[in-house]
Amino acid sequence: MTTKTRQHPAVTLSSVSHQYSGARQATLDAVSLTIPKRERVALIGPSGAGKSSLLALLDGRLASWTGQASVLGKTVLPGQKLSRAHRADIGFVFQEFALIERASVWQNVLNGRLGRMGTLASLMGRFSVEDERAVTQALEDVDLIDLTERRTDQLSGGQRQRVAIARCLAQEPKLILADEPISNLDPMRAEAVLQLLTSLAAKRDITVIFSSHQPELASKFADRILSLADGKIIVDRPTSELTSLDMRVLYQASEQPQLLRKIG
Amino acid sequence: MRGFPLTLALVAVVIWSGVSADIDLSKLVSSGVRMGDFLSRMYPPNFSVWPEVQKGLLETLRIAILGTLGSVFISTFLGVLAAQTLMPAAVYRPVRSLLALIRSIPLILVAMLMVGAVGLGPLPGILAITFHATGMLAKFYAEAIDDVQPAPVLALDSMGASGLQRLKFGIWPQMAPVILRDTIFRFELNLRESLVLGVVGAGGVGFYIQTYVRSFQYDKAATVAIVIAVLIVLIELINSAIRRKFS
Repeated sequence: MTTKTRQHPAVTLSSVSHQYSGARQATLDAVSLTIPKRERVALIGPSGAGKSSLLALLDGRLASWTGQASVLGKTVLPGQKLSRAHRADIGFVFQEFALIERASVWQNVLNGRLGRMGTLASLMGRFSVEDERAVTQALEDVDLIDLTERRTDQLSGGQRQRVAIARCLAQEPKLILADEPISNLDPMRAEAVLQLLTSLAAKRDITVIFSSHQPELASKFADRILSLADGKIIVDRPTSELTSLDMRVLYQASEQPQLLRKIG
Repeated sequence: MRGFPLTLALVAVVIWSGVSADIDLSKLVSSGVRMGDFLSRMYPPNFSVWPEVQKGLLETLRIAILGTLGSVFISTFLGVLAAQTLMPAAVYRPVRSLLALIRSIPLILVAMLMVGAVGLGPLPGILAITFHATGMLAKFYAEAIDDVQPAPVLALDSMGASGLQRLKFGIWPQMAPVILRDTIFRFELNLRESLVLGVVGAGGVGFYIQTYVRSFQYDKAATVAIVIAVLIVLIELINSAIRRKFS
């Protein structure tokens, strides 16, 4: 019992449903799942399958849903913002990078420390040696330590997503959620960025959940594949046990939801 | 043939302008001599008035600085009210119309009214600049607010930043360079426009142009004109250098 807080899974969902008002179909339809710590999970599905909604829910940014959800051992409630400490424990990597374009690489990554420090100290620019060490380490890990003074809008898409990953790592999160982190990148950079994200997370014992519509690439860097279609989980399997039939379903699921409904 | 009535109307308007106003075209012919005489009396420029001109220039500079400052304060307030992303249409629409109205009133007219209201001197000049510049600056500020990208601010929120931290590290860095650039641009315009404020008695170097021309001291007026021309070129050079830096 003493180790209960250490033993909780990273994520637990129990019959979670969500529907946008006016929408004909549910974005999440009674989803239940458990994700243990340190697992690297890929969410596969076409756009509109509920991947983004699920990730937003885990980040405490989704209003009006039903069911029970717990992230890093703390309950998440519909439309209720997570506490600062809880938010700091959850990193989020966005499809559109979400960086301050006019700011330097260093400043963007330093922003990752904000959730870990007092408001007053940060407003006065009092970042500690510890903060700078975390930022330097993150920039070294994503191989951008030579570009720290560069303005972010002068970087390529792949470099920008690496800045975003560094910002996320500087945050020292226990869980990283990544919403289509590579869909804005060309294939070669996409693979490199996904590998970087998952390997750095593994190195630091961070749980990762990323969404993608590229099943093959995703299965290469994940321990487990979850596929959503019409708000339901249709495939949930360790990547080591994926069959060629699974892959076919995944491909169809990521491209043509109508076809999948016929198969199902 | 469709354009014929329009052409006719245009010709009529031009004829009307020339005939009905008190314009004697024969004057234009003889004015060449007068113009030559006028120019010869401007040469050589009398630089003995430099101390007064310098005093006037410094007053103009002070009017532009204080007028810009006043406008920055009011624009901060009105800029927020005119921001589409912050205010409902019922607020930002009327505020934007008000700003358009302010922009459409010529500075010299505002200055004349201000002189009537508060008397001669630099004060009406400062008030006129403040009023006139706000029409543009508040619009620029509102646009700077509206151009802030929400995604990076949301990202900061998601990683645990507090409200003030989001303002300082998410919103302000996106706005600050734009606001600084626009304010410097407006200051340059203010300085340029305030050079003539003295003509209507609202302070600054323009006062001397009016005085010297009215008292037929064209050599002294020439000095003021040259100084103003040099100053405008200088302002333009500085401004283009600054704009390059903030692009």
